Amino acid sequence: MTITVAIHSSKGGTGKTSIAVNLAVAFASEGLDTCLIDMDLRGPSLCTIFKQTPRFWINDFLSGKCTINDTLNDMKKKVKSSGHLYLSYSNPDITQIRELVGKDRAWQASALKALMNVKKDLAQKDIDIIMIDTSPGMEYESINAVAASDIVLVVQNDTDACNYCTEQLINGVYSLLDKKYAIIDNMCHFNCLENIENSRYGAAIIASIPCMCDVPMRSKKEILVLTDPEHQFSKSILRIKHWIEKMQ
Amino acid sequence: MLESQMIYQIVDSLEEMNSKLNRVIELLECNGSHSVEDKAFFSETETLDVIKLLSLPDHLRRTATTLFEIGPATADEIARKTSKERAVESNYLNQLVRMKHVKKYREGRKVYFCTNESIKSSNSNCNIAFK
Ligand SMILES: Nc1ncnc2c1ncn2[C@@H]1O[C@H](COP(=O)(O)OP(=O)(O)OP(=O)(O)O)[C@@H](O)[C@H]1O
Ligand SMILES: [Mg+2]
Repeated sequence: MTITVAIHSSKGGTGKTSIAVNLAVAFASEGLDTCLIDMDLRGPSLCTIFKQTPRFWINDFLSGKCTINDTLNDMKKKVKSSGHLYLSYSNPDITQIRELVGKDRAWQASALKALMNVKKDLAQKDIDIIMIDTSPGMEYESINAVAASDIVLVVQNDTDACNYCTEQLINGVYSLLDKKYAIIDNMCHFNCLENIENSRYGAAIIASIPCMCDVPMRSKKEILVLTDPEHQFSKSILRIKHWIEKMQ
Repeated sequence: MLESQMIYQIVDSLEEMNSKLNRVIELLECNGSHSVEDKAFFSETETLDVIKLLSLPDHLRRTATTLFEIGPATADEIARKTSKERAVESNYLNQLVRMKHVKKYREGRKVYFCTNESIKSSNSNCNIAFK
């Protein structure tokens, strides 16, 4: 069965993309056919991280110019995973982002319909897991991604504003759309390994990842879950992966 | 008469009543709905997008979301997805029609509901009906 997981947050820079990339690679390494879609259309990351310029972008798909299959780029060989790792990139060109910001509700509604169909299309391709990286907060595209997913992982840092806004998202979006959701605490400064809370705002806290200075440095050149599985960050990723597997 | 026999009879009668009621609802729906050829069918519908879905009352949101996902669909098809009674979904769908978020049209004896989105999507029944 194909499962769709959106990685979202109320505030920016909480670690969504880092977690999404490492999780996708972890799933593919274990032999699951995985697809990672960059729905952060306003601040794309994946094409820079994987250093690729695709023939078709996810933007083209959402506008009805190509199929989802046309946007997929298999990174299986590059990351040497046993499962496929399909990347669907968002276009970082500023004219594309300017165009997107001007899109109306009708475009967003047809983009939602298209995203809902992605699961059906990729299920036919026997994809096991679809991960969607999003923009923070109530951006249209992010809420579309949430609506098209089965599970939402909300990544948050330890600030009051982020906490407050996460609660708002849980009660005002995820619950209303009948989603399963869980919290990931990232960049924790307290000794989080000893103080793990089980839940917050009715959501399970499935990982508490400490703030570690080597993560941003090393992530520029490596995907930690591949190069250093014993790293605390990688271990947390595997914990999250385990939780998702249990949800299936 | 045995007590268990009586219960079977009651259940049978209830099922018969239910199917009769469904037929009445179908007929009523047919009277109220436009054929896709009617001009009125194209009159303004509000785009049902994710923000609109969020602002709908709780009882209508699941119906609307399901229709968005699988529409055009009959009340029966929606009910099968949401595991509610057909009559309940029919009522919700008609509320959505009155709120102008959803359109309905008939094809033969069946009444279909659809959102703006399903009208546009290429392989939809709506499109076939337009031809
Ligand atoms: N546990 C951690 N400890 C220290 N730094 C981290 C940790 N997790 C992520 N980072 C770093 O934080 C920065 C932001 O991470 P990332 O880009 O993944 O966040 P994001 O939520 O995707 O941001 P945006 O909202 O802009 O898309 C990166 O430099 C990343 O390496
Ligand atoms: Mg990001």
